[in-house]
Amino acid sequence: MQPLANITPLKPAGAIEVRNVGQIFEMKTQTVVALEDVSLDIKPGRFVVLVGPSGCGKSTLLMMMAGLREQTSGTITISGVPIPKPDPNRVGVVFQEASLFPWLTAEENVEFPLALRGVPKSDRRAKAQDALKLVGLDGFGKRHPHELSGGMKQRVSIARGLVQDPPVLLMDEPFAALDEQTRMTMGDELLRIWAATGKTVVFVTHSLTEAVYLADEVIVMSPRPGRIVDHLQVTLPRPRTYEMLSGDAFGVLRDRIWRHIRKSA
Amino acid sequence: MQSGLAVKATRVGIVVALFAIWEMLSRTGIVNPRLLPSASDTLVTLGDLLQRASVQKDLAVTATEVVTAFALAVPVGALIGFLIAENKYFSDVVKPLLFFAFSIPKSIFLPMFILMFGVGFAQKVGFGFFSTIFIVIMSTTTAVESVKVEHLTVARSYGATPMQTAFRVYLPSMLPVLLEALRISMIFNLTGVILAEMYASRDGIGHQIATWGENFQMKQLLAGVLMVAAIAIAFNELVRWVETRCSHWRT
Repeated sequence: MQPLANITPLKPAGAIEVRNVGQIFEMKTQTVVALEDVSLDIKPGRFVVLVGPSGCGKSTLLMMMAGLREQTSGTITISGVPIPKPDPNRVGVVFQEASLFPWLTAEENVEFPLALRGVPKSDRRAKAQDALKLVGLDGFGKRHPHELSGGMKQRVSIARGLVQDPPVLLMDEPFAALDEQTRMTMGDELLRIWAATGKTVVFVTHSLTEAVYLADEVIVMSPRPGRIVDHLQVTLPRPRTYEMLSGDAFGVLRDRIWRHIRKSA
Repeated sequence: MQSGLAVKATRVGIVVALFAIWEMLSRTGIVNPRLLPSASDTLVTLGDLLQRASVQKDLAVTATEVVTAFALAVPVGALIGFLIAENKYFSDVVKPLLFFAFSIPKSIFLPMFILMFGVGFAQKVGFGFFSTIFIVIMSTTTAVESVKVEHLTVARSYGATPMQTAFRVYLPSMLPVLLEALRISMIFNLTGVILAEMYASRDGIGHQIATWGENFQMKQLLAGVLMVAAIAIAFNELVRWVETRCSHWRT
């Protein structure tokens, strides 16, 4: 909140603007263009999925939005302000897996971002409780990660990402390690949480079905060099249902993404 | 639960059986009782020895040496290990050298320690330190490497300062490995100090054990062995108990 207080945001909270972003890795023998001239506008409260084959730079782009990695060229703003380093007030990040601290309980993991800024214990606990309740883990706060299933661990990760109530939630293949059924359930859960909180969500995945099922918009990327090759609006009504997966509209969208990916793979 | 109990009972049974065989061998004269006094006699001697002021003093001397050597070797070794692990270049250069140093039996350096430090307290502590530090350095580098990159990224993404990262991520990540290192280091440390005492010394329990051996005082010798064994096992089990309490951290 502080970093924003004395700056008039050019964009409302939760807007993400990516302008001509490039990323070049200089290796000994070659130069790898990880991202080339990527531009993107994400409106507040949208659910946007980045999809593409390995090496297309989707995770790299996400890490830049999180302030965890610096781009070689171009600018990225979150809520109208550049993000040169992580700012948990603006952005919460949910990682792939195994990102919970095994020595902390679920609620201590959720409290971790608050503990870092010295929020008093009782406030912390209350906020962690709320966040755990939001992700459907009421009553599981005292468990350690090794006592939780894969899906529950990712719920804790989401709660940790939301505990400071940032306008943006960035998710890097959060369900990739889960089995198919858990993955479907977690997708529905995530949509419920998203609807309840109104966050801007940027979600990276390999799965075309997951992309279309979850998204308002799908950004398709291709590798060598990493760039955006398509930007789809998913107009399927919400709430999304399992039946939609076999519908024509769903198939058309998925085929369109697949054609891009097949070309670049 | 029941099988766990059975395992424990069997374990106790084995120890009891060993003592019984010992008793039997000595009592029946299969082994000359002057060479192997019976277990019961040895235990009685152990009780007597523990009452004796000179033995208590020897134990105190050894304990002081062990604790001092340990208290020096662990933080110094941990610091060196940490610095090595944190610097890629330094780590590449130094690590093989550490393995070389670690593979050399430390006992061959004992005469040099005597020449340098005499046969007193400093020599025992010095040799104990020397016996221990390599394993501490190596274990610490392993411990640092056991810190998961994902956890460091999480800390960074929530704006942790270097200090917070050290105490909230590095330390708890490393703790299980460090505890194990502590336990193994103590074995090396005890061995080093007692060896130094047995080789050349005026006091300490190692010196006593060597003297009893030279004078053919088998009961005292065996009682001394039991004494040191019990102390070593007690420390080991204490740390192992703490280890098991945080074993799920490893997952």
